[in-house]
Amino acid sequence: MPETTTLTNSKTDTATQTPWNVIVHDDPVNLMGYVTFVLKKVFGYSDSRATKLMLEVHELGLSVVWSGELEKAEFYAQQLQLHQLKTTVETAE
Amino acid sequence: MKIAPTIEGGLKIEPESEEDWYVLRAICQDAKGGENDLASRMGDLITDEKISEDWNDIVVPDLRESFWDDLHHVSAEIDSAAAFAKHEEAAIWITQDDAPNWYSALNQARLALEEAHHFGNELEIEIEKFGPVQREAFFRNQFYCALQSFILERVMNC
Repeated sequence: MPETTTLTNSKTDTATQTPWNVIVHDDPVNLMGYVTFVLKKVFGYSDSRATKLMLEVHELGLSVVWSGELEKAEFYAQQLQLHQLKTTVETAE
Repeated sequence: MKIAPTIEGGLKIEPESEEDWYVLRAICQDAKGGENDLASRMGDLITDEKISEDWNDIVVPDLRESFWDDLHHVSAEIDSAAAFAKHEEAAIWITQDDAPNWYSALNQARLALEEAHHFGNELEIEIEKFGPVQREAFFRNQFYCALQSFILERVMNC
């Protein structure tokens, strides 16, 4: 049944392409310098980019530190949680 | 307690009293927290039903093992130094290699204390309103934070 197959593929593709956000939330424990260090280590961000994201976490309460496909989002979130940062993964839509 | 940088880029901790040993041993005790451990609390943050089940089944056990490894390392270092202290002056050495274990253990302890006591923003804390248990926990938290800052700046060079 070609039509069914087409529909299934289309649905799968849409789900796969939905961007996912990796979000770091503020907490009263993690030191600012450490958050910057972790963002540089996990994502390879420059010092200025990591510092900007860290300040967003500190001042706004959260920051979307990465967006993209689910598999990578899960990997990055796991790395951030291993470093004890309060991290969530949410769909960007 | 004396804490000083070493020429190899690490830290040397010299406990000078039973109270010093008590507070060092309290790092791992505090880090264990209550019934809901840190790995579980991290897992609870992932609420999207598409990934939460796998997260709890696969990622949370990995987190738990990693956190326990760090605590085990620090606990062993303290016990080893304490055994030596029975004979002569003892010191605990934090090298560049094991600085992440120490930082993690101290962070776990502070996260667990925050979970239990909700100290919140340091600037808004009113110590005089704390009971004895909470006050003691607060001062341990302050010590852990100071040691973390030393490790971050002097050993991990952040």
